[in-house]
Amino acid sequence: MDASQLDRVLAAMAHPSRRRMLDLVSSMPGMSVTAVASHFEVSRIAVMKHLGLLEGAGLITSRKKGRVRHLFFNPIPIQLVYDRWTTQYAGFWAGRMADLKTRVEGRAESEELKSA
Amino acid sequence: MPDTTQVFRIVIHGSVEEVWREITKTDEPIACFFNSRMDVSALRPGSKLAMRTPNNAYTGVVGEILEVRPYRRFSHTFRFTHLNEPACTVIYDLEPVEGGVEFTLTIEDLPIGTKSARQMVQGGTMIVNTLKAVIETGQPSLGTRALFALFRVMQPFTPKKSRTEHWPVD
Repeated sequence: MDASQLDRVLAAMAHPSRRRMLDLVSSMPGMSVTAVASHFEVSRIAVMKHLGLLEGAGLITSRKKGRVRHLFFNPIPIQLVYDRWTTQYAGFWAGRMADLKTRVEGRAESEELKSA
Repeated sequence: MPDTTQVFRIVIHGSVEEVWREITKTDEPIACFFNSRMDVSALRPGSKLAMRTPNNAYTGVVGEILEVRPYRRFSHTFRFTHLNEPACTVIYDLEPVEGGVEFTLTIEDLPIGTKSARQMVQGGTMIVNTLKAVIETGQPSLGTRALFALFRVMQPFTPKKSRTEHWPVD
């Protein structure tokens, strides 16, 4: 994932209405633009502008069937953002540190029990 | 009534020829299809298709080829052999874009709330990510390779129903 793609994904997600649109579309795959717009107070034009940004970032894909444009959530860009900061090594060490935390805290708890 | 379609899209830095071969080859296991060996009577619409373990002993998925448009679209029905659930349709679309191929996996007619639906939704991300890794780096990620090793260990626990002798393609 290159820098400009990353910018598009993060910018698209940096708006509460657009995140809500992602939630709506992912819970109802194939939702129409009109159906999405019905959940918002703003104009249809404004909704379409938000959807355009989401589509430009690859977070939404659309298909036209007759006169209706159907929207689908594409989870892949978010997965790529995750992968970008969670390399194999980082994932490994993050896992080890979480383990260490669990063990140390677990030991502290059992020692408290013993001394009690 | 919600549509039961799921879409997974990614841009792969490679050629349509490479991507096409990777998703249609029958001479070696296909990493992005969970390291399955694809068995078909012929690569054309109407032919039966089976996804088998690398040693051919078990068959996890069967279907029928719907569309073969070289370098553009491959589509088939898809049903898990160990589940008595209706088939869904998978469509692989390849679209040349600047610097690579836009690859889209569309899963249609997913039976809502079934085990198949859950497995397909999780599997979609794995398929497109592994395909990208294989084309761009020559191999699946470390985690995916570990998963294949686990599959080999788990193979003896596969249901008898999935044995390849029950699922011929000819």
